[in-house]
Amino acid sequence: MTTPHTTIEDEVILSLQKVSLDFGRVRALVNVSLQVRRGTIHSIIGPNGAGKTVMLNCISGLYRPQEGTILLDGRPINHLKPYERARLGIARTFQKIELFKGMTVLDNIRLGRHMHLHSGVLSGAFYLGKTAREEIEHRAFIEEEIIELLEIAHIRNRVVGMLPYGLQKRVELGRALALQPRIILLDEPLAGLNLEEVEDMARFILDINEEERWRITCVLVEHDMGVVMDLSDRVFALNFGVPIMEGTPAEVQNSPAVIEAYLGQEDRYATRR
Amino acid sequence: MSHMPCGVYHERYAQDHALWRSRFVRVKMLLLAVFVYLLFPLWADTYYLGVANMVGYTVLGALGVQLLIGYCGQVTLGHAAFLAVGAYTSTLLVLQVPWPNFMLRAGLAYPVSIIAAAFAAGLWSLLFGLPSARVKGFYLILTTMAAQFITVDFVITQYVSQIGGRGQAFSLPPGTIKIGVWTIDNDRRVYFLMAFLVTCLTFALVNLLRSKVGRAWIAIRDNDIAAETMGINVVRYKLLAFFVAGFMGGIAGAFWISNLAAVSPEHFPWSWSLWLVGVILIGGVGSIHGVFFGSLFMVVVMELLTLAVMSLAGVYPELLMKLNFVKESAFGLAICGFLLFEPNGIAYRWWQMKNYFNLWPFSY
Repeated sequence: MTTPHTTIEDEVILSLQKVSLDFGRVRALVNVSLQVRRGTIHSIIGPNGAGKTVMLNCISGLYRPQEGTILLDGRPINHLKPYERARLGIARTFQKIELFKGMTVLDNIRLGRHMHLHSGVLSGAFYLGKTAREEIEHRAFIEEEIIELLEIAHIRNRVVGMLPYGLQKRVELGRALALQPRIILLDEPLAGLNLEEVEDMARFILDINEEERWRITCVLVEHDMGVVMDLSDRVFALNFGVPIMEGTPAEVQNSPAVIEAYLGQEDRYATRR
Repeated sequence: MSHMPCGVYHERYAQDHALWRSRFVRVKMLLLAVFVYLLFPLWADTYYLGVANMVGYTVLGALGVQLLIGYCGQVTLGHAAFLAVGAYTSTLLVLQVPWPNFMLRAGLAYPVSIIAAAFAAGLWSLLFGLPSARVKGFYLILTTMAAQFITVDFVITQYVSQIGGRGQAFSLPPGTIKIGVWTIDNDRRVYFLMAFLVTCLTFALVNLLRSKVGRAWIAIRDNDIAAETMGINVVRYKLLAFFVAGFMGGIAGAFWISNLAAVSPEHFPWSWSLWLVGVILIGGVGSIHGVFFGSLFMVVVMELLTLAVMSLAGVYPELLMKLNFVKESAFGLAICGFLLFEPNGIAYRWWQMKNYFNLWPFSY
């Protein structure tokens, strides 16, 4: 089956090439290669300790892999610091919520606008003209696009540390969206949420992926297999830092290698009993 | 974030972003300005003006400490060093530079020296902020203490104080501190200079904190790793915080020479750095109100203590001799008490009170 034209979806936006990372003797990632296409939801799955979060940390720059290359739009970004990668359009959320707990919801999201703001120390200190105008423009963006989308208008002035867990997860997504990123790395966005919150969050992920306004490529690390299989375009499975397989959700679900990674070998399991 | 008073609704973002968001607050601030700039100086005698100047000087110094500790999370125990750099830069410029006559006549030497002092102290502070790129917490406290000892005990005492062969102290002849046509030679004029500088620096800091730079500082305080993944160049903003804090410290130091007959390293001991940290601990860490409450509390309580000791002197003459020790133990006790019973400082109590009245008569 051939298509006459390549759609924008075929473009590789992010790729990892033979990335390896050791922590002393622990091999966290071994020769991991991954191609994320623009506009897709690409999930990374694997048992606990497989190296999923390590992969995200390598992409966002918190860890430096010892070997291999990470490319964004075909350009290597290995040497870039996390904040420089954020400016290229990589945003992320964290498994253990990493919000600015002393700030309000609004200020957390405003902080996400950091790289889109241009006022410096001097104009900030006087808060005249440019700075005040800029603050209002970005406030309008935050209110109309992010707070509206995530349905958090009622808590916009609450201090984040005092909010329930599910809402904090949502605010964290909002803060990442404020960067207007091209890729968003979601590290277990559904962990610890109740059923209703899981449904909401899954809807938000689909929204930011599919809505013309956002069109953000998502790299999703998640343990909730039901949601992963429903949302993902591609699934990448990892075990003890070693890639097991990559494919469509259906392929991965039926792969004996993946089942083994999660459940162990059947005979070994039987003998242990 | 506190609640808006009942019945105040905003229709535009500009109203919501305003510094003073309701008429009540605007009137309150106007009354405060009238009190500070008119009523108090009219009413007060030299003693009260002197106390007010001390409060103002503490505020000017503590603003920088609040920025570093309360808003950027970089604990500093050497802020007096930057006050000293400011004071000495300003003094040296006023005394040693052959100012052209028209500038002397126009009273520009001192104002120019304040600005130069601010930049000198800012850059000096930046230098000692460099370790913050690599170290955090306890280790950073030690490097900021190094700032104190290197600057005041070594550079200033051993070298700077010897400039011009004046020995330990730089005396400031009457009439050298002049702004425009005003010679700053009495407590009332010092008071007005202080009130002006406090107003300017407070506005500057408040405005910074509600724009891009300040939010980045707070983000670094709350979670530096997340801040970095949000596109903030953490090292750059930490250094910027050190620069701005030093800049404010420089202004504070340069201001204080107007109140002194002579400048000596003893005016900027390490205990003054500690004192400034104590001020924000008592007032409230991470609050501009806290700087003011803390400064008022510390200075006024110490004055009251002095008065109490004076009146008890007839009964216990020894107390008078030990006044300094009594003061310092009171300072220590006050910090212990606040950390135990109100770790959020006086500002938090103020905030609670304000919210109560804003929501009244609906308590939820």
